[in-house]
Amino acid sequence: MAFDLVSLFADRFGRRDFLHLAGVAAGAGLLAACRQAETMDGQPGGPSASARPPITEESGDLRIYEWLGYGDGSYGDDALWGDYKKAGYPAPKFIKTFDDDSGFTKVAAGARYDIVHPCAYRFGDWVALQDTDGSPVMQPWDTSLISNYADLNPALQEYGNFDGQQYFIVVDWGFAAPMYRSDLMKPEDSWNVLFDERYEGRISWWDSLNMFIVAGYLNGVADPWDMTDEELEKQKDFLISKVPLVRTFWVDDPAPDLINGDVWVAYAWPNHWWATLDYGSGDGVPAVYMNPSEGRTSWYCGFALFNDTQNYYHAHEYVNAWAGTKAAEWLITNYAYGHTNTAVDLNAVPEELVQEFSLDDPSVLQEPNSHPERPIARRDVYNELWLEVKAAA
Amino acid sequence: MSVRTLAPERTWPGTLGLLAAPMLWLLLFFVIPLFVIAAYSVGALSLFPTDAGISFYDWHRFLTGDSVYTSLFFKSIRMSLIVSAIVVVLAYPVGYYLALVARRRRYVLLLLIIAPFLTSYLLRVLAWRVILGAEGVINSLLVSVGLEQSGDPISWLIYSQFTVILVLVYVWVPFVALPIFVTLENLDHSMLEAGADLGAGRWRVFWRVTFPLSLPGVGAAFVFVFIPTIGEFVTPSLVGGTSGLMYGNAISELFLKGLDWQTGSVLALFLVGVVAILIVIAGRVLQFRNVGGTL
Amino acid sequence: MDVAASRTGRVGLGLMFVALVVFLYVPIVVLMIFSFNDSLLVAFPLSGFTIRWYRLLLDNDQLISSLQVSFVVAAISSLITVALGVLAAYAMVRRGFVGRSAASGLLMSPLVIPYVVFGIALLILFRAVDNLLIPRLGIYFGLGVHALIIGHVVVSLPYTILTIAPRLSRLGTSVEEASRDLGAGPSETFRRVTLPLLMPAIVSAYLIAFTLSFDEYAIASFVAGDVTTYPLYLYGQVRIRIGLPQMIAISVLVLLFSLAVVVGAEVYRRRAERRLAV
Repeated sequence: MAFDLVSLFADRFGRRDFLHLAGVAAGAGLLAACRQAETMDGQPGGPSASARPPITEESGDLRIYEWLGYGDGSYGDDALWGDYKKAGYPAPKFIKTFDDDSGFTKVAAGARYDIVHPCAYRFGDWVALQDTDGSPVMQPWDTSLISNYADLNPALQEYGNFDGQQYFIVVDWGFAAPMYRSDLMKPEDSWNVLFDERYEGRISWWDSLNMFIVAGYLNGVADPWDMTDEELEKQKDFLISKVPLVRTFWVDDPAPDLINGDVWVAYAWPNHWWATLDYGSGDGVPAVYMNPSEGRTSWYCGFALFNDTQNYYHAHEYVNAWAGTKAAEWLITNYAYGHTNTAVDLNAVPEELVQEFSLDDPSVLQEPNSHPERPIARRDVYNELWLEVKAAA
Repeated sequence: MSVRTLAPERTWPGTLGLLAAPMLWLLLFFVIPLFVIAAYSVGALSLFPTDAGISFYDWHRFLTGDSVYTSLFFKSIRMSLIVSAIVVVLAYPVGYYLALVARRRRYVLLLLIIAPFLTSYLLRVLAWRVILGAEGVINSLLVSVGLEQSGDPISWLIYSQFTVILVLVYVWVPFVALPIFVTLENLDHSMLEAGADLGAGRWRVFWRVTFPLSLPGVGAAFVFVFIPTIGEFVTPSLVGGTSGLMYGNAISELFLKGLDWQTGSVLALFLVGVVAILIVIAGRVLQFRNVGGTL
Repeated sequence: MDVAASRTGRVGLGLMFVALVVFLYVPIVVLMIFSFNDSLLVAFPLSGFTIRWYRLLLDNDQLISSLQVSFVVAAISSLITVALGVLAAYAMVRRGFVGRSAASGLLMSPLVIPYVVFGIALLILFRAVDNLLIPRLGIYFGLGVHALIIGHVVVSLPYTILTIAPRLSRLGTSVEEASRDLGAGPSETFRRVTLPLLMPAIVSAYLIAFTLSFDEYAIASFVAGDVTTYPLYLYGQVRIRIGLPQMIAISVLVLLFSLAVVVGAEVYRRRAERRLAV
C-alpha cells in the first residue's frame, strides 16, 4: 500500500485521491485475504478418512486449539512437546484462547482446528458434535500410532473411550479443593470452610456451576453430578443463603486475592496453590491445599482430533510427545498437575508434590479417595440455577 | 440550523449514491447477523439439531418477568443511570473549564485527559485492584499514617458496588467531557456577553443562558455513556465482587457457558431493541443534526 | 469582566480539573511503577527496580506479531470506516429525504449490540458463507484479518459519523454554495472546498476508529481465526501471572507511543485550522 503520508494531509488532497486510496486499501485487503485463502492447505471440506496421505505428504502445519500456558514456547512450555520438536517437525501454531465453554461454543459455531484439548465434563458433547451436513466434527485417534500410549493410566483413558473408540488421549489431571492462608487461619479440614460464617467476607468461590457439586458433596447428596430437581433446589437455597459470606467469584485465578489478603480461603486448583507458595523469586505466602474430609474432586483433560484435519500423522506425533515422560515431568514440576504417564520418574519432581497429590498411587483418582468429575447431563439446568445464585447476591 | 439542501440539478451524486456504500456494508455485515440472532431467539436456528421447532417460549418467559434475567435487566438500567448521572455531573465542570475558562491551553489540557485511554482498558481496571485492595495503595497509606490498623483494611473499597461505580466513572468521564466541551465551545459567546451587558450576574448568565444552550450536548453526552453502560459487564465482573452480575454477563454466559443460544439471543435482541428505541427518542429530542451544538 | 467565571470560580474550576487529572493518572502511574518492579506479583510491597520486563518484550515474537496484526487491522478498517463515514455524514447532514430518521437509526445501530453477540453472529455468518461457496465456487472466505476488518468497520462507523457530521453541519453550506456559484462542479467543490475544511474531523474520526479497533477484544476472540491480535494476546497473558509484568510494560510503551501520535496530530490540526482560518 504505497501512499504518501505527507500528501494525505496536504490541501491538494482531494476526493478522487481519497477514494482512490480507499479503493486501493480495500483492494489490497481483499487481495491479501484471497491469497491467504489460496495458501490454506486444501479445502476445509477435507479428504475423506480413507484417502489419507502418508506423513511425508502432509504439510505439517498443525493448528492446536489450546489452553493458555500450554505449549507455544513462551516460558519454556514447549518442553511439553519437546520430543516433537526434536524430531524436526515444523512448529505447530497455537490458538490459545481455548477454555471448555467458549471453546466448545466456537467450534459448534463453525471454528475448525487440528487438535483441541478439552476436559472431561464435556467429552460427550465433543463426540456428539456434528457439522451442518451431519458429519461428525471429531474423529477417534489410532492408538497404535502413539508409542507412549501403553504407559498411560488405562483407568483414565477409559473416560476418553466412546463406542469402543479412543476419542480422547487423556494426559493431564488435577484436583479441586479449598486453599487457605495458613498464617491467617487455623487448620481446617472440610469443604464447609467455604461456607463458614467465621470467614465472612474472606471467601472466594469459583464462578462456576461446580459450586453446586461442592454443595452436593457437603450436604450428602448421593450423586452431585446428576442431581434431581429437588436436590438442586435445596443446594440452590443453601448457596443463596451462604452468598453474603463471599467476597468475590474468581474467574481466572484466586491466588492474587489470597496473596493480597483480600481473601483468606478459596476454591482452587493445584497450580494456584503452587504459585502462591513459590511465587516469583521465592517470596511466597504460606498456604495449605486442603484434603477435605468429604474428598477433593478431580478433573482430567485430553486431546481430541478434528475430523477434517490435514495433518493426521503429525497430530499423532504431537500427542505422542505430550504423552511422554519428559512432558509429564515438566507438567508436574511447573503446574503441580498430574500426568497420566505412569512411567514418569517421580524422583525427578519435587517430593512435596508427590506427597501432596499421591502421584505414586493411581488409586488417589478413584472413589472414595477423591471424586473424579463426570459429565453433567443437565448442565443447562445447573448453569441457570448458578446464575440465579449469583443474581441473588 | 435547518438543513440547507442544494437545488436538485446540483445534487450529484444523489443521496442514494452517497448512502449506498455505508448502507450496503451495514446491511450485509450487521443486519443479516441480527436476523441470524433473531432466528436463534425463536428457535428457527439452533446450535444443536433439535426436534423443537419455532417457539416463543423464551421470549414469553423473559417479557413476563418470569425469569431472573428480567430483574437483571433493570439492575443494569439502574446502575447505568447512576453512573451516567455521576459522569455527566462530573464532566460538565471539566468541559466548562476547558471551553470557557482555560481558553488558550484548552486543547493541550483536553489531550491530557484523553491520553489515559491509550492504555489498555483491562490493565487500568486491574490497576484499580492494586490501588483499592487490602494491601493496596490506599490501605497501605492509611496504615503508614496511623489512621488504620494493619490487617484491618477498609474492605468496601474493592469488590463492591462502590468499586463498580468508581471504575466506570473513571473510564467514562474523559470520554464524556469531550462532547460537553465541544458543545460549550461552539456556543456563541456573544450571547453570554449580551446577558452580562443586560445586567445579569455570572450565575444568572450561566443558569439562564449557558446551561440551557448546552443542554442538547449534555443530553447527547448522557446518552453517549448510558447506552453502552447498560450492556457493560467486564468491569462489574472484575471489581464488583459478588454484586457484579449484570445483564451483559448473563448474555455472555448464556452464549458461552450455558450454550443456551435461544435465551441469549432473546436477551441480546431485547437490549438491541430497547436501545434502538432510546436512540430514536434521543435523536428526536436532541435533534441529531445538532449534536455539534450549533444554534 | 470575564462572563464565564469569577476569580474564585476560575480557581475552583481549576482545582477541580487538577483533581480530575490526578484521579485519571493514578492508575497509569501505578502501572508505570509496576512495569519496573522486580517481581512477577503485581502487589505491594515493591521488590526493587528492573528493566527486564522491557527487555523481554524485544524478544517476544508473538507479542510483536500481535501488535503488527492489530496495527494493520486498525489502519485498514479505520480507513474504510472513515470513507464510509464521510459519505454517510454528508448524506445525513446535507440532504433531506424521506426516512432520514430511519436511516440515521440504522447507521447508529451498531452502538447497541453487545460485541460478544455480534462476534458470534459474524462467526456463524462467515461459516454459513463458506458452506455455501466452497462446494459451488471453491472460494474460501474463512476467518482472520479480513473478518476482523469487516467487524471493526461495522462497530466504528457510528463513532465516525458522530465525529464528522457535527463538523460538517457547523461548516454550513455557504462556502460550498459560493464555490458552486463560481462555477466549480460538485465533485470539485467537494474535493477542494469541503474535504480540506473537514480534514481535522476526518483525522479525529480516523484516530477514534483506530483506537477502537486496536483495543477491541470481544469480536476478535470469535473471528480472528488463527491470527492473534494485541488485545487477544494481552488478555491472555494477563490471566497467567507470568505474563502480567511484560504486558504492563508494553502498555506503558503503547501509551507513550500513542501520546506522541496524538500530540503530533494535534499540532497538525492547529496548524491546519490556523491556515484554513475557520
